[in-house]
Amino acid sequence: MSDESIAVPELSPPPEKHVGTGGALAGPVPWIDKSGAVGGVFKGIRSLFTGMKITVGYLMRPSTVVTQQYPENRETLKLPDRFRAQLAFNHDANGYHKCTMCRICEEACPNVSIIITGREKPAVSKKELDSFVWRLDSCTFCNTCVIVCPFGVLRFDGTFESSVYDRRLLAYTLNEYAGPVASVLEKIEDPDARKAAMEPRDPYGGHAVIEALIVKQKAKKVAEKAAREAARVARVAAKLAAAVPPPEAENAG
Amino acid sequence: MSWQVKTIAQRTGDLLPGSPWTAALYVLLTILAVTAFVTVAGLVLIYAERKIAAHFQCRVGPMRVGWHGVLQSIADAIKLLMKEDIVPRDADALLHILAPVLSFAGMLLVMIALPMSPSLQVADMNIGVLYVTAVSGLGVLGILLGGWSSNNKWSLLGAMRAGAQIISYEVSATLALLVVVLFAGTLQLSGIVQSQDTGWWIWRAHGCGLVAFAIFMIAGTAEINRTPFDLAEGESELTAGFHTEYSGLRFSFFFLSEFLNMFVLAAMASTLFLGGWMPLHIGHFAALNGVMDLLPPGLWFALKTTAIIFLIMWFRWTFPRLRVDQLMRLEWKILLPIGFVNLFVSAACVVTGFYFFAR
Amino acid sequence: MSVHVSTLQARISGESTASSPLSTEEYFVNMGPQHPSTHGVLRLVLRLDGETVREVVPVLGYIHRGIEKMGEHGNYRQFVHLVDRMDYLSALANNWAVTMVVEKAAKMETNERIEAIRTLVCELQRIQSHLLWWGVFGMDLGGFTPFFYGLRDREQICDIFEKTIGARLTMNYIQPGGVMFDIHPEFVKDVKAFLSYLKPKLVEYDALLTENVIIQERLRGIGRLSAARAIALGATGPVLRASGVAHDLRKSEPYGLYAQVDFDVPVGTDGDCWDRYWVRMEEIRQSIRIIEQLIDNIPEGKTFLVKPAAKIKVPAGIHYSHLETARGVLGVLLVSNGKESPYRIHCRTPNFNNLWCIGEMATGGRIGDLVAMLSSIDIVVPDIDR
Repeated sequence: MSDESIAVPELSPPPEKHVGTGGALAGPVPWIDKSGAVGGVFKGIRSLFTGMKITVGYLMRPSTVVTQQYPENRETLKLPDRFRAQLAFNHDANGYHKCTMCRICEEACPNVSIIITGREKPAVSKKELDSFVWRLDSCTFCNTCVIVCPFGVLRFDGTFESSVYDRRLLAYTLNEYAGPVASVLEKIEDPDARKAAMEPRDPYGGHAVIEALIVKQKAKKVAEKAAREAARVARVAAKLAAAVPPPEAENAG
Repeated sequence: MSWQVKTIAQRTGDLLPGSPWTAALYVLLTILAVTAFVTVAGLVLIYAERKIAAHFQCRVGPMRVGWHGVLQSIADAIKLLMKEDIVPRDADALLHILAPVLSFAGMLLVMIALPMSPSLQVADMNIGVLYVTAVSGLGVLGILLGGWSSNNKWSLLGAMRAGAQIISYEVSATLALLVVVLFAGTLQLSGIVQSQDTGWWIWRAHGCGLVAFAIFMIAGTAEINRTPFDLAEGESELTAGFHTEYSGLRFSFFFLSEFLNMFVLAAMASTLFLGGWMPLHIGHFAALNGVMDLLPPGLWFALKTTAIIFLIMWFRWTFPRLRVDQLMRLEWKILLPIGFVNLFVSAACVVTGFYFFAR
Repeated sequence: MSVHVSTLQARISGESTASSPLSTEEYFVNMGPQHPSTHGVLRLVLRLDGETVREVVPVLGYIHRGIEKMGEHGNYRQFVHLVDRMDYLSALANNWAVTMVVEKAAKMETNERIEAIRTLVCELQRIQSHLLWWGVFGMDLGGFTPFFYGLRDREQICDIFEKTIGARLTMNYIQPGGVMFDIHPEFVKDVKAFLSYLKPKLVEYDALLTENVIIQERLRGIGRLSAARAIALGATGPVLRASGVAHDLRKSEPYGLYAQVDFDVPVGTDGDCWDRYWVRMEEIRQSIRIIEQLIDNIPEGKTFLVKPAAKIKVPAGIHYSHLETARGVLGVLLVSNGKESPYRIHCRTPNFNNLWCIGEMATGGRIGDLVAMLSSIDIVVPDIDR
């Protein structure tokens, strides 16, 4: 598990237990003090310059700036996979989830942030999930619901921009189909790409993934049309060339 | 090369017999110009402080308002203008209103004496140094009144600290000033600048100038209440010290005068020790002096002042704060004896003519 | 032994003990609940004689949330995440304290890998907590720059936690029966990179703050706390060790993998602010040593040995277990009646006891000293009120 590529420097020695300054400010006045404290004063003054060297070092190296310009860096900002920002359902390729409404997560939730409603199916005597409501406003992101779920239905993802202007919007219904709608899916011709569009996407992809796909398809169609047109023009030109001799030849003759 | 010093006050005086109304207009314009300069310089200083502090601390500072946040100070000024101006119920309303005005006025009055270039000085009094020391003491009155009238124990503590601190450190600052006055032989600020045309006092006086400069910088930093001497408003101790109860425009007056005091300190330090608008001259080496004269004197002044302002900011963003008794001990037991000894040594140097390029 | 109880009102209206020959008057000032250096909503009532502090009376309860009572209404696994919110800078150690008492009482098994991961993340968090303290300490003493340096380096640890645990502050990672996730594949690499980043930074910290003459002058001899008084007041952690008592549960009652690693317990001599500062700076170095010994030797194994949804039942009786967080001893007393939820849970939190040392230290100091002392105790207010 070790990684040899990282050079680990030696640990610096601990700070001197009592770096003497001779009590220039707190104790007796240094040049009256007989314990040879004048040297300590110079040491103290030097310590001030050492500190100033450190700070100006950072001023001189703008590369040490660690500030992240947040809304501008959305493109590059990636939160880790495990980051707990929003509870979500794991949907399969067809947009189905495996929640059986066993209510284990509801019971495990320490602060009643999960509210599950459903009903019995009388014919098969199985339960059917109506809505899986997750309340972000009371959630403490403890991840207990995710680890107790026996079917792996729940996950936390890193969609962290969940601020809204109305508190009521913080109650999410998780079991809705979360992928693109049918009319959008229809436009995707390639079945594999369609499946990919329905899979859980990364938190920043959003609809851009599908839109890019559609744009690509359109571009492909336009290119095909242009190629056909060019071929037609070439054919017509060849026909004309065969029917009529080139004018330059006449002039030369 | 010799400079013809012509202050704005002199020009007004020349105009007065012929066309008094023009002279009056001139005075009015000067007042406007000084106020405008104070405002603009304040905004620039605040922006510079924020940017420099940010880069000391691996941050970038304001970035949103304008290119790299250059308009941030203006946005903040507008915000402060629009904020509610609160006078606490049990405060002494008159003094509460008067305090920031006094603080601001003290700073503004010093402004007119600063020689920024041979032609850019409002008034050149023959007791310039004395005037600056006297008038800059007015600022402490504003701080004391502000802390007292707010009827808040933290404010009062801050004000008392500021009062004790500024009055104590003024002694050392004045001792350091006197060294230069001794060497230059004049109290007139333009005269002090002219006296440095063969070299700046910081190096011409065999170390006396350097010691005086160090004392002046320490005492000056203490006088303008900046870290490591910001006990008057020590945020972690007194929440905001004497201006805890101030908001809006009145707070901005305190804030502006605090920043402009930094400019005044830097301008005074550069005038007294670094030659003010005088270019870097070494004795009578005409070649070097000629090259140095290529830069206009106003630019020299600006460069020196900027350098010292940067130094003060550098102090602030590096050092922690002193404790109140350490502050007093530093002044009365360390700076003051050194200052006196330095003054005596300088006097001896002046009497014996023992300094570089003595006349 | 008799206990003298006086109300705040009685103290305020009590007789003045001003000692100055001049005609002076003592006055009371409320420091907090909203004050920059009380680090939260702590209220200190100060009796001042000019700048000199005569008496400090901490007034608590501004962030009391009843965490212990809430714990009685849920099961044991639900209680673990609540203690994240006590000492939020030692969330993992808090998790572990509850986990430890539950595991001990319910006789749940763990393995070496789980213990190694727990030890590692707790030590990382100790560094994280001390880095934040270092920055805030600098800020309380008037230097703003250390605050940003401390937080900047703490962020690196937060990023490591974010990858493995998925949270930066309230982790809920150490669970009865294991840890919530296995470590991230890049965890070892990241921790090593961080250590090699932090070591030069420690030198920088020393140059910027530790060796600074102003810091030395402001800390040395300030806020003395004798070993006897520290023990009597129940102080633990760096506060106790700075007073010269080498008490560290990681050494004296090793839990986790602390018995297998080699580290020293830094001990102060005077019990002043400077010793508390020094002990914490040295503890960062010792934590680095512990991590370095463990990081390459994480044993293989499962990281969760029970079914997370399984009910935990603790046999009836009184159970106690404690460990060392970044601030001292966190003990959890659990009274069980054999059901799924605890009958009563009590947390002996380090900050509560450490806070009361301020009364002992601050008397006779200045206001500036008081801020330094309060900061050197390193309190986290939600841990005091719970």
